Amino acid sequence: MGLSDMARPAEPCSESRLTYTDGTSRTVYTTDVEKAFPEGRLIVSRTDLNGIITHANDAFVEMSGYSREELIGAPHHILRHPDMPKIAFKGLWDDMAARKKWHGYVKNLRKDGAYYWVYATAVPNIRNGEVVGYTSVRRKPSRTRINELIPVYAQWLADEKAAS
Amino acid sequence: MTLNFLIAPDFAPERFAGWHMLNTTLQRRSGIGLHLLTPASAHEQADLLAAGKADLVYANPFDATDMIRTQGYIPFARPAKRYDEMVIASGGESGITCVEDLKPGCRIALTDNRDVKLIGLRLLEPADLTEATIQWVPVDSYQAAARLAIKGEVEAAFFLADAFASLTRLSRSQLKVLVESAISDISHVVLAHPRVAENLPAIEKALLGLGQTQGDGDVLDALGLPNGFEAMTQEEAEFMIDLMDTLLD
Repeated sequence: MGLSDMARPAEPCSESRLTYTDGTSRTVYTTDVEKAFPEGRLIVSRTDLNGIITHANDAFVEMSGYSREELIGAPHHILRHPDMPKIAFKGLWDDMAARKKWHGYVKNLRKDGAYYWVYATAVPNIRNGEVVGYTSVRRKPSRTRINELIPVYAQWLADEKAAS
Repeated sequence: MTLNFLIAPDFAPERFAGWHMLNTTLQRRSGIGLHLLTPASAHEQADLLAAGKADLVYANPFDATDMIRTQGYIPFARPAKRYDEMVIASGGESGITCVEDLKPGCRIALTDNRDVKLIGLRLLEPADLTEATIQWVPVDSYQAAARLAIKGEVEAAFFLADAFASLTRLSRSQLKVLVESAISDISHVVLAHPRVAENLPAIEKALLGLGQTQGDGDVLDALGLPNGFEAMTQEEAEFMIDLMDTLLD
């Protein structure tokens, strides 16, 4: 079952329709409000092999704006911001399939439509030789690097829209 | 039969007596002889491990990674509500008020503790600093790191959070904390070598039961672990290792 549409925030916002890799889609609303990454902390989550969230630490809950109950059992793409081009995540799934670590700068969407930037790392959870899930850890990113990437992501997104 | 109990060398000197008190208590309650090994450095610890002399280990989390995944050590306990955190601080007169004020080429004092260094490097990423763009100033103690920062001979210093908290009030008043980690998922781990698996239940029961008998508080206070120890499963240790893996680069 897919995610339900987001509630429209009270602040001025933009509306987008996102379609995810599992074929589901939902309407999301985004504002220009940025939530600062909490100093000294890490955002930690785990998912099963289907990308369903099985663990969320306190920082994840706080930054996402959702309750823990809303997050556990939800697909990780609940965080997907419409400003993120699909190609930015391509390496993630390639690396997971190859049992390798993946790093990337990601703009995440909060429940209230605001956003937060992270430097994300994902690793496969290998137990007795089998991949049983994935751990993702997000840390405070370099603002210099984000400022370099904003126009790059915007261009990739424009290319994807032009091609679709 | 006597088992060797190796304690990672990153505890504060004033905790030394506490580890001996713990060792004595565990021996008495488990009925198993324990010989405490307290290597003075990471290098000395590595030699003892390589020689196969450690039956039980109180390991720092990054060493535990290799011991669990490569050498098959069994995780069974960790300090309760006690996480490994670190502090980056500058001299109070330095004018440096946040991590982003540190620039490439800055001098940072640090002790021989690679865990602190690794987490510290992650906390410096927002300032676009990397291992190669920092002038590292090695020191023998956290007190020495504090002195250099206070005197302005380094722009910042790395501390184990517990060690920072143990500095004198005067030293702390002359330092400005730029950031303190609050990861809350990484801790030391108590491990057993598979060859002593049959002794593990008795040791585990004695360790996890600390705090339930009169007088235990003295042992735990001396260790600086007032909440004692809690059970740790293999999967909980694996989860911590996966998390630490994400911090390596």
